[in-house]
Amino acid sequence: MAAYDLELVKLRKVYPGGTVAVEGFDLQVERGEFISFVGPSGCGKTTTLRMIAGLESITSGRLMIRGQDMTGVPTEKRPTATIFQNYAIFPHMTVRENIAFGLEVRRLPAAEIRRRVEAMIEKLELGDVADAREASLSGGQKQRLALARGLVTEPEILLLDEPLGALDANLRRSIQEELKILQRDLNITFVFVTHAQSEALSMGDRVVVMNAGRVEQISAPFDLYTRPRTPFVARFIGRNKIIEGTLAETGAGTAAVQTRFGRLRGVAVSDAATVGSPALVVVPSEYVKLEAPDSTPEEGEDSIAGTVTGIDAVGPLAYVSVRLDDRQSVRIETHRERIAGRGMEPGARVALRWRSERATIVPDMG
Amino acid sequence: MHHLKFLRGGLAVYTALFIAFLYGPFVVMGILSFQKGPEGGPQFPILEWSTYWYRHVLGFAPPSRVAPLPIGEALVRSLTLAFATMVVSTVLGTLTAQAFRERFRGSGLVFYLVVLGMIVPGVLLGLGMALLANNLGIDRNWWSTAFVLHVVYTYPFAFLVMLAIFNRFDRSVEEASWMLGVTPARTFRKVTFPMIFPGVLSAMLFAFTLSYDEFPRTLFTAGSDVTMPIAIYGTFAVEIHPNLFAFGVLTTLFSFALLSVYGILMALSVRRARMRATGIQEEIA
Ligand SMILES: Nc1ncnc2c1ncn2[C@@H]1O[C@H](COP(=O)(O)OP(=O)(O)O)[C@@H](O)[C@H]1O
Ligand SMILES: [Mg+2]
Repeated sequence: MAAYDLELVKLRKVYPGGTVAVEGFDLQVERGEFISFVGPSGCGKTTTLRMIAGLESITSGRLMIRGQDMTGVPTEKRPTATIFQNYAIFPHMTVRENIAFGLEVRRLPAAEIRRRVEAMIEKLELGDVADAREASLSGGQKQRLALARGLVTEPEILLLDEPLGALDANLRRSIQEELKILQRDLNITFVFVTHAQSEALSMGDRVVVMNAGRVEQISAPFDLYTRPRTPFVARFIGRNKIIEGTLAETGAGTAAVQTRFGRLRGVAVSDAATVGSPALVVVPSEYVKLEAPDSTPEEGEDSIAGTVTGIDAVGPLAYVSVRLDDRQSVRIETHRERIAGRGMEPGARVALRWRSERATIVPDMG
Repeated sequence: MHHLKFLRGGLAVYTALFIAFLYGPFVVMGILSFQKGPEGGPQFPILEWSTYWYRHVLGFAPPSRVAPLPIGEALVRSLTLAFATMVVSTVLGTLTAQAFRERFRGSGLVFYLVVLGMIVPGVLLGLGMALLANNLGIDRNWWSTAFVLHVVYTYPFAFLVMLAIFNRFDRSVEEASWMLGVTPARTFRKVTFPMIFPGVLSAMLFAFTLSYDEFPRTLFTAGSDVTMPIAIYGTFAVEIHPNLFAFGVLTTLFSFALLSVYGILMALSVRRARMRATGIQEEIA
């Protein structure tokens, strides 16, 4: 069996003060994968990344890189490089010196060092500022310098801690794309930490959703979006309509939940839940259609009712706000022409419909 | 309104007095150092302006009834002592501050033990050291017992300066160096030290100047080969001549030169970074 590039086994971190920052973290990463960690602030993302980099000790569990146990291996001996949130540029060195710094301790011939540094300067388009220091660099340039400095030592795993957090939205989007291309180019493993779900979903081959020190779900972005496995993921990722109820029947990968809107069906993500236990019906808003309240649902569709409270039109799109009979509000995106002339105005009754295989039944552990 | 005017006037007087007391002695000393020699005494009026006493201090004046100041060797001792104290205290202070970047067991106690060295009254410390040396049968010398006390005294100052510097130091820069494969020792030399250098310079200045004119701790511990402040004190016992004032002016100028070197080094390290920065910006524009 080929070793994973990175493997975490029951990783746990308790800080000296007693804070349990990470608990029971299991993860296997294939070579060349782009893994995103996402979760609210304080959920343990940075701590996990620092344990991988060797900047933080591991309380218990194991951490392997390419099959090698990293216990007792100091930071400078690990095949990882870290891009820090604040970039951590050496302020007393020029851009060129920053990039060369990690190579100078590697006993490489001077010509080889120069060649690699210049190649990296070119790759990340830092030629104009090669002799400048940190004080005169823009945010985007610092970001690229941090990348160049980390990549020039040819790490096997690149760890990035919210590297785009300090940049404005446009720059962030363009660097997101650059990063993705760079990663495919180099074919090395990226572990990318962010608190923004959109960034995690658009960047990661797989996304690790963390909450309060624990892993909630590890999935490809689309699965995460369409098949959340925990209530936290259902609420944190995407724009889901969530309806509470109790599990009424299970079987063959599907389930039905008794809710105040009646019995709703969906795909079951867990067989473990017992009938009568609390459960959520989770429907991505994108799959919800608006229909007249008196129309008949098609075969395989579920339906709930509500009252229109407002409509925002943006170009060809319309956002219809609906207050459901359980007093929750939901905003449905649709095309303007699809609701035109159908009596959809504030105060009108409306039916929300979706195909039941689009819904996911998630056990509600509390 | 009236109140405020009164307050302002009071403050002005206070400031004027403050400046008068700060610079007054030096101005008086400066004027009297140009007294006529060798007949003129250490008081007004100035009989005639002359640089006689400066020549006297530097050993260029013909022999007269006024004995030369016995400070030549003492001055060399003081400078050597101040230099050694500066090196040891700055190194110790920097290392201790480095250790304090991480909280360790008993760090509070260690902190107070270190800082004690600058809080305990100097005379007591000097006396205590002299008694201890006598009991243990150790000779008292400027380069042994006095040197130890100079370090005990100046080390806390260097430590506090470096502690303040490390407080504002961004640790992730060091971590970035480690993750590039650079050992912690080399990281300290190549990354940490250049970044804390201005602080080190300040710590050195503190240690040097404090040691250079240290009196109470040195008085009982320097033995028979005394340092410059003790030697000057010794001349008071005989008779005061304006050569002492000339010497005072010269040492003040020396201190001032030291301060200038410090200022220039500081400004250079700031300017070098800024010049590079603006140069590049112009190039781009
Ligand atoms: N050096 C530290 N000492 C003690 N507690 C810490 C330390 N660093 C982080 N924590 C705590 O560990 C938890 C996880 O923090 P962190 O990994 O930084 O979260 P994230 O990066 O997801 O925002 C938080 O509760 C935080 O307060
Ligand atoms: Mg963080």
